[in-house]
Amino acid sequence: MKILYMIINVLLFLALAPLFEGMIRKIIAKVQSRQGPPLLQPYYDLLKLLGKENMSADGNAAFRLAPMIAFASIVSVIAFVPFGFQEGFLGGYADIITVIYLLTMGGVSVMLGALSSKNTFASMGASREMITMIMVEPVLAMTLIIGALKVKSLGIGASIAGITAGGYGWSVVLMLAVYLMALQAFVARQPFDITEAEIEILEGPFIEYSGPNYALFKYYLMLKQMFYAALFAMVFVPVARTEFYALTVVIQLAIVALVFVLISLLASTNPRLRIDQAVRYYTALIFMALCAVGLSVYGI
Amino acid sequence: MPTLESIKNRLNEKYKKDIAGSETLYGDTQLFLDIRKDVVRPICNDIISEGGRYLVSVGHDDGDRSGTLGLIHTFSFDADHFKVMVKTAAPADNPVFDSITPDIPNAGWSEREYIDLLGMKFTGHPKPKRLILADDWPEGIHPLRKEVPYNLVPPAAEDVAYQLDECPPGCSVVPVGPFHPSLHEPAHFAVFVDGETIKGCDYRGFMTHRGIEKLCTTQVSYNEVPFIAERICGICGSVHATAYSQVVELAAGIKIPRRADFIRTIMLEIERIHSHLLWLGVAGHLIGFDTVFMQAWRVREQVMWLAEKITGNRKTYGMIVIGGVRRDLTPELCDDLLKVVANIEKETMTIHRAIAGDTAVHKRTKGVGALTREQVVNWSLVGPVARARNVDIDARRDHPYAAYDEMKFDVPVVDTMDVWGTVLVRILEIYEAVKIIRQAVEKMPGGPVLYEFHDPIPPMKHAITQVEAPRGEAVHYVITGEENRAERWRVRAPTYPNLQGVPAMLMNNQFADFPIIVGSIDPCFSCTDRVEVVDMRSGKASVIGSGELEKMSRKR
Repeated sequence: MKILYMIINVLLFLALAPLFEGMIRKIIAKVQSRQGPPLLQPYYDLLKLLGKENMSADGNAAFRLAPMIAFASIVSVIAFVPFGFQEGFLGGYADIITVIYLLTMGGVSVMLGALSSKNTFASMGASREMITMIMVEPVLAMTLIIGALKVKSLGIGASIAGITAGGYGWSVVLMLAVYLMALQAFVARQPFDITEAEIEILEGPFIEYSGPNYALFKYYLMLKQMFYAALFAMVFVPVARTEFYALTVVIQLAIVALVFVLISLLASTNPRLRIDQAVRYYTALIFMALCAVGLSVYGI
Repeated sequence: MPTLESIKNRLNEKYKKDIAGSETLYGDTQLFLDIRKDVVRPICNDIISEGGRYLVSVGHDDGDRSGTLGLIHTFSFDADHFKVMVKTAAPADNPVFDSITPDIPNAGWSEREYIDLLGMKFTGHPKPKRLILADDWPEGIHPLRKEVPYNLVPPAAEDVAYQLDECPPGCSVVPVGPFHPSLHEPAHFAVFVDGETIKGCDYRGFMTHRGIEKLCTTQVSYNEVPFIAERICGICGSVHATAYSQVVELAAGIKIPRRADFIRTIMLEIERIHSHLLWLGVAGHLIGFDTVFMQAWRVREQVMWLAEKITGNRKTYGMIVIGGVRRDLTPELCDDLLKVVANIEKETMTIHRAIAGDTAVHKRTKGVGALTREQVVNWSLVGPVARARNVDIDARRDHPYAAYDEMKFDVPVVDTMDVWGTVLVRILEIYEAVKIIRQAVEKMPGGPVLYEFHDPIPPMKHAITQVEAPRGEAVHYVITGEENRAERWRVRAPTYPNLQGVPAMLMNNQFADFPIIVGSIDPCFSCTDRVEVVDMRSGKASVIGSGELEKMSRKR
């Protein structure tokens, strides 16, 4: 059964991530008085890219492997998390450190691919990605650490469930606020789509990618954004837990959809920030997250 | 307060024997000085210190008449409503002039242009690099010289490339262009960055230079040029058509019907509303705020429909000709016009309120691309770029043309000194344009809209005119000629001076701000390059299929 949970997890994410991406595009289009692409456009995009040729300026191995590592790492993260509040088969073999590690791995492989392409814009994108990673990962880490502190365990299921175990104390409310404020940065949407910034550095790290490799990166980004939305549902909305697994999954997906509505609205009503402005913002977030952890230590 | 007379007297007194002639033209609005070339630099400096603003230089091949190359520097006294033209000449076989660029940086491009096109030489020019001609254009062929035919295709020089400026130590080069999403036309900026901070840049543009000026002074006649002039720019077409018609009318002494003046004013203001909304959208896009982009363009669409109703075209109206305009405005059209502008005014206010209260937009525009007022004056920048930095110039008010003398309007000037100021100025100007359109419709007299002139236009008359385009002031200079066409026609689009000020605006900003800083001047590379896309020799545009294009590109 535990293996089944894991498989359902992965299949659900793989199947729905492009749909949520399509939803974002549709909502942004509506805000902009546009018709927008069909809801299923991201699927078509992926299929189209998969059918194209891989172009590589100088086919070094790092450049070719980076998209696969990114994709593999995000799929593994998904395999670990207890979506529907049912821990999967692999849950017992890993802890939250593994999750954080694997998430970082995705960012690192984006950088790896970018730097190995030797493109000026890609390396600018890579350096922006690095700054973003360093500044944003702590917020995620501290979210999970609060749970781990409360239940005194680094287990994935335990610490995710543990955050709201003692109800919504001040530390949890603060952390929830910080998480929402960091959400746009987690999913690299405006105002924090600084790494890609099409108009400045032409999609930054991905500029040299095409065909199936680019499709993998795109898929990676979609999965990553769905993961962060789902993590919000798992961590901060424990009331969604019902006795029936299928019902819980459906409720959680509805919450994920709501988070995506929020992401779309924020993305369509903000200009892109500069990296220096973003760093100031992230610093404040890290500080607030630290406060939340501090409060939780005292059980507040 | 200098007046035309006082400047004339003072210069004549100071440079007695060096000034061969001074002439007051067109009802005390233009002073024409003919000077010896040794005193170019001091006289230009004196004019600047009197309060003149450098406009453009006009180089001209007079070889067949006097065996010389002429060079005319032009200046504008905005508060005092007159212009000064300083003409000098040098023998065609040794055309060496003193460069005025060390004192007047904006003359840099004009002078480089004539190094390329006329083979002039400028002593003391700080950067005498190739500006206009393609890199593979052979040395020693100067297309604006009269003996060079307009359709000459010389064999390409080999192994040549533009040498970029030296990159400052510790910096790396980020190539922006020739094709880059923040540039809407081909141009190349080599941006020198230290990390993400810009430490300088070099510009190589004029990639679409097709030589309209040569074409219009050798192949077509006066009456055809307004339509070509309109195609200099896809956005301020009426501006160039008006400026050209106006300068020819001025030189020829043609008085156009008053109703035509009013219709020209209305067309220019429709174009201004269109351009401001378009730019506002582009600016939003450049800072990654696509909602502003889409909404501004939705509002703008109404202008396009309106223009189509009035002129038959969404853009490139084809309304303005020498002697007046081609179509009249019927009362029904005037009603439509008023309805549409009222609607646009309302919707612009909504966008204005949204932007004014959005701190995120402020973050990306305030303090970005900052210049001091002195820098703007020193670089002779024009239009919203200047007005956002507390320089109060507007050709509509300072040098009235069409029916602007009868219009009451404000010239919005702000002192934020940055890109945010440009945004404000351009939004406020939409309201002013609406105001002008309302007044023009109300006050418009009856009568004909076109004066048909039959007398030949007298040759060798010099005239200059300014028209305030949405992105700044356009200057047209004409020397009338024989054979029913101009001897020399010089177009200076607003991007020409403003683009030269961009390196100063970029200095020490973040690379992320590069798109909006370059975008803030609303660069029109085609205006600057003066492109012509229709094949004039066959008179029709030919369409090349993708297969054929592929074959052609593989051949080389």
